[in-house]
Amino acid sequence: MRLLRSSILAIAAAAMAAPATAQELKLGYVTDLSGPLAGSYTPTWEGFDIYMQARNEDGGIAGATVDIALDDDGLRADRSVAAARKQIDRNRVIGIFGLSLSSTHAATLAETRKSGVPVVTAFSAIAEALPPAQDYYYSTGVMFEMAGEAIAELTGEIAAEGKVVGVTFDSVGGRAALTHNRLAAEELGYDWGEVIFPVRTADFTPFAQSVNEAAPDVVVGHYGAEQNLGMIAALRAAGYDGPYVIASYGASEATAAQAAQQAGSDENIYMVSRFAPASEEVEGMQALRDAAAAYGVNNPTSMHVTGWVLGAVVADALERCGTECDPEGLNAALQETSVETGGLTGGPITFSGDDHYGTSYWRLYKWDGTNLVAVGDWLAKDGLDFDIESN
Amino acid sequence: MELVINTLVLGAIYSLLAAGIVVIYKASRVVNFAHGEFAVLGAYLYFSLSQAMPGVPAILVVVLVTAICAALGATLYHVLMRRLVGRPPFVAAMVTIGLAIILKAAIVIGWESRSVGLNLTRIVLIDYGRGFRLTLIEAITIVTCIAAFTGIFAFFRYASLGRQFRGVAESALLASQRQVNINLILALAWALALGSAVIAGVLFGGRSILTPQSVFIGLSGLTAALVGGLDSFRGALFGGFLVAAATYLTARLVDPSLAEAVPFVLLLAVMLWRPWGVFGTREELNRV
Amino acid sequence: MLPEPYQRTLLLVVSALLLCLPVILGPYGIHLMNLAMLAVIGAVGLNILTGYCGQISLGHASFIAIGAFLTATLSQRYGMPFWVTLPASCLLGALIGFVVGLPALRFRGIYLAITTLTLHYAIIYLLTAYQTAYGAAATAGIVVEPPRIAGFSLDSDLAWFYVLFAFAAATVFIGLNIARSYMGRAFIAIRERDVAAATLGINVTRYKLLAFMISAALAALTGSLTAYFTSVVTVEEYTLELAILYLAMIIVGGMGSIIGAVFGAIFMTLLPFMIDEIFQYLPRQYRYGTTLFGVQHAVIGVVIIGFLLVEPRGLIEVYRRLASYFERWPFRYREMKGG
Repeated sequence: MRLLRSSILAIAAAAMAAPATAQELKLGYVTDLSGPLAGSYTPTWEGFDIYMQARNEDGGIAGATVDIALDDDGLRADRSVAAARKQIDRNRVIGIFGLSLSSTHAATLAETRKSGVPVVTAFSAIAEALPPAQDYYYSTGVMFEMAGEAIAELTGEIAAEGKVVGVTFDSVGGRAALTHNRLAAEELGYDWGEVIFPVRTADFTPFAQSVNEAAPDVVVGHYGAEQNLGMIAALRAAGYDGPYVIASYGASEATAAQAAQQAGSDENIYMVSRFAPASEEVEGMQALRDAAAAYGVNNPTSMHVTGWVLGAVVADALERCGTECDPEGLNAALQETSVETGGLTGGPITFSGDDHYGTSYWRLYKWDGTNLVAVGDWLAKDGLDFDIESN
Repeated sequence: MELVINTLVLGAIYSLLAAGIVVIYKASRVVNFAHGEFAVLGAYLYFSLSQAMPGVPAILVVVLVTAICAALGATLYHVLMRRLVGRPPFVAAMVTIGLAIILKAAIVIGWESRSVGLNLTRIVLIDYGRGFRLTLIEAITIVTCIAAFTGIFAFFRYASLGRQFRGVAESALLASQRQVNINLILALAWALALGSAVIAGVLFGGRSILTPQSVFIGLSGLTAALVGGLDSFRGALFGGFLVAAATYLTARLVDPSLAEAVPFVLLLAVMLWRPWGVFGTREELNRV
Repeated sequence: MLPEPYQRTLLLVVSALLLCLPVILGPYGIHLMNLAMLAVIGAVGLNILTGYCGQISLGHASFIAIGAFLTATLSQRYGMPFWVTLPASCLLGALIGFVVGLPALRFRGIYLAITTLTLHYAIIYLLTAYQTAYGAAATAGIVVEPPRIAGFSLDSDLAWFYVLFAFAAATVFIGLNIARSYMGRAFIAIRERDVAAATLGINVTRYKLLAFMISAALAALTGSLTAYFTSVVTVEEYTLELAILYLAMIIVGGMGSIIGAVFGAIFMTLLPFMIDEIFQYLPRQYRYGTTLFGVQHAVIGVVIIGFLLVEPRGLIEVYRRLASYFERWPFRYREMKGG
């Protein structure tokens, strides 16, 4: 019944569709371009955009030019859903990319699945991408639970043992990250403490002092870029001068620089990220820097790298799908993804039929006053180590 | 010890915010929901001004921005709030809610949702190690609060303008018949409110980072004013410190994630006991 | 209700047009209308409480959240069908409305608003804890399967259009009936002067509580339907801003008017999207960025202030003026009836 209905709709849609102008591949990008976290999401979009522009100039993908419809969701699920619907119906996109906060993903997914349009997110990810993976949903982004575990393991590069205090704000995602961080850290023999503060905290002083009082050897912050600034200023003011790790949910070298400024010192600021900062000298970075310079992006950061890698993954799938690519074809192609990034992350991005996240690579960086410098090697994470029960 | 210092500092800021709310309520029975936005907008203005005038000492910039905001307050009254005289008080309250929305959007548009650090002095006055610190800015905050409230009490008791103010608050009609310039007094109230808001905002921003989300402190200030009594400056002082103490102690000793809810719980408790606030005048609650 | 014959015809014509609307609008337009109709249900509820009964409530968003969460839990955890979850949500909403209404008996005006605000935060805090405890799967929100009737699953925008139209129409009908009944008059009396109403023999306690219960039940219904419509329930969506948006809806539409609530709900829901469309005409660099967001937000505030200053009776008043202009035409004023 549903198959019949969707076939009828598909035929009707095809009949009503205007023919694409001269070999165009239509893609959709929805993210937060104007809301409170626009500072993090916009660079990711820029990275994706300059990748596609560079490919277009270079002859296109599979002989066709890429046309991207861009929409803003202002960090709200209902607008994300409306934007997805508009892009599918009016712009006739074959795939939707980017998205913003993980709390918007499930709703948007419910909408795009109705039309069989695949979604690849760049920034955050929800556990639906892990096996057994949900149809039509892929991600190259940061998953809360995965980040928590990765950071616990990477803490070893700073201190082999001691007390780790995790800090987050009172949101479902933050708590999930903290839980996985704790489980992994305790398994590795660390002592654990945690502080959770209300989402809308403006004054971090009491929380920073609670952290300080717990006598940590390492402090890890699981929240957005902005809170890092407030927290580190408060921590240093409270008298904690030890290592502070920024978990990169949208934080980049720019965040580290601002944090150093807020803290009044460059010392002991670390960051864990899936993608390399733009200052890193690896093979794949030069192409990005050239494109950034060519298309007016100043000071690229690891957030641009995130978008760039997404672009590469999408382009690869499009190539294999061909000029007449449609949503089903793109979805099938995505399931056979294996894209080398030339050092932009620790290894290839891989998707399979069952696993739409693949092995993810994480690395610890230290702020040296001008750049983020790698500490230790890439850590490969192949699925979650801890499974928090439930239904 | 740091518990005490931080409570004092936070309390000073909240009291100052509460005072700004009280001054408007006292004069016009309007509850200003936009006070937090005033404070943060003023602080952002300070940031931009201090960036634009690098050589000028901070204190002068503060004076300048306070004067600007006071003027803005008077203008706001003249252009907008004046037209709401005679309408049900609910209308004025909704207008301030609308104003709050517009001001927050203005901050987002004007400064692109950026977080800014005010970089006020980082000088540490006393430092006995972990937890035993007093920075200059914290000392300044407490002193400012004391000075402000001393000024307020003195003004309303001794200055003739202060007496006129109380007259208008009691009964605007009678006051106007005794040649009190109502519009002047009300404009003055709004000017004072915005001026004190910006000072509170700058002091707040000096402690930590400033973002558009910081407007939330307005709700704390409102809670403090309600707890103390909307028409009492003594209440503002008391309420500010009580809310600060409750929030801080909960965050440190009980459970940090409850800290946001504490002011409201406190408010609910006070309202069930004395709805007009601890120091407020008992009034027919049909006012708004 | 509709004294003039032309009004009955007008109603029929308008209804027919509305039902054929999906043909004119594309799927995107239908989606937007669905969002608007969901808002209509909630707005009518709030109007009964605040517009008719004069009880200012800032807690509307938390009632919506309650309906959404109960529906999600019942349908996902316990596999209950929609014809159980919907009424259950309304009942729970009414219950919570009763509880919230109790302190309201003591307070009026601003103090009432603050009380409802406090209770909003309390409820949201509890729901956040609930969502966290729900399980790892709920990190990004609890996923809700679409409702099923005899194998046919409700998940297309078009089908939702007619379902929501039915719900919205039913709500408006109920609302209009309440407004015209003794209950409605009692509400209005309480709004004007509750002390005087009591002397007239109106049981103020009972009617205030009733107003809260009805309003909360309708809000919970909105939440419940939204849960099915968006297929996801997450506590982050139910903010104070949402409650203020609903207040804006009834201010813009016209407080104390059910039809006004409909106008207001549609207007405020579509407003951000209309601004979006306008911004599309700007050159690329101005199209996005925080300016768009700021403007969309500012507009809500501007609209609130604008209507309060210029047209405090709301859009319904504009409609009434237009209607009476056409009724009177070509005369300038109505005739006097009787001698």
